[in-house]
Amino acid sequence: MSGVHHFVPVLHRGDAVGRHTLRLRDATRRRGIESNIFVDVVQDETADETLPAIAYAEGAQRGDVVVYQFATASLMAPWLAGRTETLVVNYHNITPPELMAPWDHHLALGQDRARDDLAVLAPRTALAIADSAYNETHLAESGFAATAVVPPSAALSDEVTAAPSPETMPDNAAGRRGGVWLAVGRVAPNKALEHSIAALAAARQHADPGATLRIVGKPVTDSYEQALRRYVADLGLEHAVSFSGYATDAAVAAAYRSADVLVVTSEHEGFCVPVVEAMAAGLPVVAFDRGAVPEVLGGAGVVVTSREPYALAAAIGAVLADPARQTELAEAGRRRLAELDLPNAADRFVDLLSQLREQGAAKRR
Amino acid sequence: MSSSSSGWSGDAEPTEDGAEESDHLSVSGVTEENQARAGEALRASFARLSPQGSDEWNFMGAFTHLGDRYGPYQPGASDLADLLRAKGGSATKRGGRRGRLFSSAEPAVDGEKPEIDDAMTHVIEAFRFMHARVSTLEARLRTEDVPLDGAAWLAPTRELDGWIEPITALVLARSPGGDVVHADCGEGALVRALAAAGTPSHGVEPRGAVALRALERGSAVTISEVAEDLARRPASSLGGVVLSGVVDRLPLHAIVPLLADCRRALAPGAPIVVVSEPPAEAAGTTPTSQDMVDRAALHLETWELLLDRSGFVDLTPLPDGTGGDERFGIAASTPAT
Repeated sequence: MSGVHHFVPVLHRGDAVGRHTLRLRDATRRRGIESNIFVDVVQDETADETLPAIAYAEGAQRGDVVVYQFATASLMAPWLAGRTETLVVNYHNITPPELMAPWDHHLALGQDRARDDLAVLAPRTALAIADSAYNETHLAESGFAATAVVPPSAALSDEVTAAPSPETMPDNAAGRRGGVWLAVGRVAPNKALEHSIAALAAARQHADPGATLRIVGKPVTDSYEQALRRYVADLGLEHAVSFSGYATDAAVAAAYRSADVLVVTSEHEGFCVPVVEAMAAGLPVVAFDRGAVPEVLGGAGVVVTSREPYALAAAIGAVLADPARQTELAEAGRRRLAELDLPNAADRFVDLLSQLREQGAAKRR
Repeated sequence: MSSSSSGWSGDAEPTEDGAEESDHLSVSGVTEENQARAGEALRASFARLSPQGSDEWNFMGAFTHLGDRYGPYQPGASDLADLLRAKGGSATKRGGRRGRLFSSAEPAVDGEKPEIDDAMTHVIEAFRFMHARVSTLEARLRTEDVPLDGAAWLAPTRELDGWIEPITALVLARSPGGDVVHADCGEGALVRALAAAGTPSHGVEPRGAVALRALERGSAVTISEVAEDLARRPASSLGGVVLSGVVDRLPLHAIVPLLADCRRALAPGAPIVVVSEPPAEAAGTTPTSQDMVDRAALHLETWELLLDRSGFVDLTPLPDGTGGDERFGIAASTPAT
C-alpha cells in the first residue's frame, strides 16, 4: 500500500526542521497512512525515528508521495529528483549566499549549491509548500509550478511557550536599569545583529543609558560572531550586550519573559520563528521590514523601513515609553498567533499530501 | 503616538499592512543629515571587520572543497555518497553524480576522466598545503600586534580644547591642500574648526560612542584605528595629519609604522602635528590602563628623533603653554619635493 514518506538529510530533535518533520510524520500516521522518515546521515539521537534513505528504494510502493524538507544543499535533492514517486518539496528558504560570503565562503558555497538543488527539483515537483508567502514567491521564481503556503508546524515548541522556571530567569532580571532588548536566533550574517547593536549605542546615548541587548542563539560562523564582539567593544558596550550562545528552550522562554522588546534586524528571513515565539510570550516586536517578517507580524508589531540606527532606536524607545502601546502590541500578537493557527498546521499540511495521494490513485484507476 | 517622554521626538503612523511605522521619530538636536552620517559611519565600522576571504575559514572553504559539491567526503557520513562510491563513481564530481543519480542515461562528462581526477587531487593537496602555511602565519600574527578589542577605551583621552586654535592656524599656514586627518579626534572639535576655516577635514576615532557624538555634531568621522584609515588613503593625498590621543596609547613599535603611514599618505610639504601627554601622565589613570596600555612614555626629544627618522623635516616644537595645559606638541612637514 502506498504511503507518504518524509525525507530530510539529517534529523535533529532540537531544531525546527527536525521537530516539524516528526510532527508531519505523526500527523500522517494519525490518518492511517504509512509514513516514515528517511535520512541520508543517521544520527544516534534520532536513529529510532529514521531509516536510511538508501533503504527506501527497496520498499518503495507505486503511488507513494515523498516529501523533501528543503533547507540546505544535499545529495538527497538530485537523488529524489531522479526518482519517479510524486514529489513534494517543503521549502524553508535558502539564505542568499551574498549575505554569507563576506564572512564564510564555505557556507556561502553551500547556499549557492542549495539554489542549484532547487533548480533540479523544480521541474520534478508536484507541489511545493512554503512556510510563508515570501518563500512561496521565491519558489515561483525558481520555476515551481504548483505551490501552497503552510506555516511551520513546529514553530512553537512546548518548552518555549511554557512559563519559565525561576532558576532559568536571567540573573539581572530584578535589578535592571534600562530597557531590555532581546534578539533570538542563530548568530548569522543574515540576522544583521550589528544593526541592533548600533541602535543600542544610539539609544544609550540619548534616551535610555541603561538599555541592554541580550543576544540568544548559537553562532553559525566564528568570523561573524567575533566581529560582533569586536564591534560591541569598539562601541564601549561590553557591559550592555550579552551573548548567551546556544540556549535550551527553557532558557529561551526565560529570555522572552524577562525582556521588554524583541528586536529583529534581519536582512533576510524565510519565516522568523522568534517573532511568533515573542507573540506567544506577549512581548512587543520591533523589526526591520525584510524577508517574511512583516508578513508573519501581520500588523502586530512595529515595522521599521529605515536602516538608520536612530530610527530603530526611536521606534524601540517609543514602545518602551508607552505601557499602553506594549499591551496593545501584545494583544495584537496573540490575535495574529491565533490567525496563523500553528497547532493545526501539520494537519493542513497533511491534507495537501492526502489530496495528492488520492489524485495519484485516481489517475492509476 | 507622541514619544517625547522616551527621549525621542516625532509621531508614528500605521503602514499599509497595519504595522506601525516609526522611521521619522528622531533625536532632538541632531539633524537628519548628521543621523544619516552617523549611521553610515557605524555601518562602515562594522563592515571593516569582515574577513573578506582572507582568513582561515574562508580559505579552507573556498579551496579545499574543489570538486566536492556537498562538502568534504567522510567515509560513512553519507549513505548516499557511499552508495555512489561503491558503484564505482565519485560522489563528489558533478558528472559522476549526475550520471548515476538520474534514471535517464545521461552521458558521463569529463569530470570522470581519470587524469582529471588525478589533477584535481593534486590541486586540492596543494591548496591544503597552502592552507596549513597560511594558518600557521595567521596564528603567529594573532599573537603579535593585534590590539585588544576595545583597547582604546582603556586609555581615556582628553579633548584638544585650547590646542584647537593654534593647530588650526598652523595647519592652515602649512597645508598644501587636501584632506586633513585628526586621530584620535574625540568629539571632533578640531575637525569642525578646520572645516569652518575652509579646510577639508576628517576625524578618526576608534571609540564608537565618542565618534557618534562627533558625527551627531556634524563632523566627518570614521570609526576605526588611524592606521586602518591611512592604509586606505592614496599616497601623497593628505593635506595634513594631527595625532593626539592615539600617541598616548600606542606602544613605540606601533608608533614607528604609524609615522611611516603618515609620511606615505601626506602630500609634499604637508604638516604633521603631534600633541602628547607628558610621559608621567601617559602611564594611565586606572589600574587596568596602567597595566594593559602598552605605551612607553615618550619625551619631546624622542618625538624629534622619530619624526626625523621617519623622513619629516622642519621639526618645530610648539612653545610651552600653546594649548593652555601640560601637554606638549611638535610639528613637522614632509619634504616639499
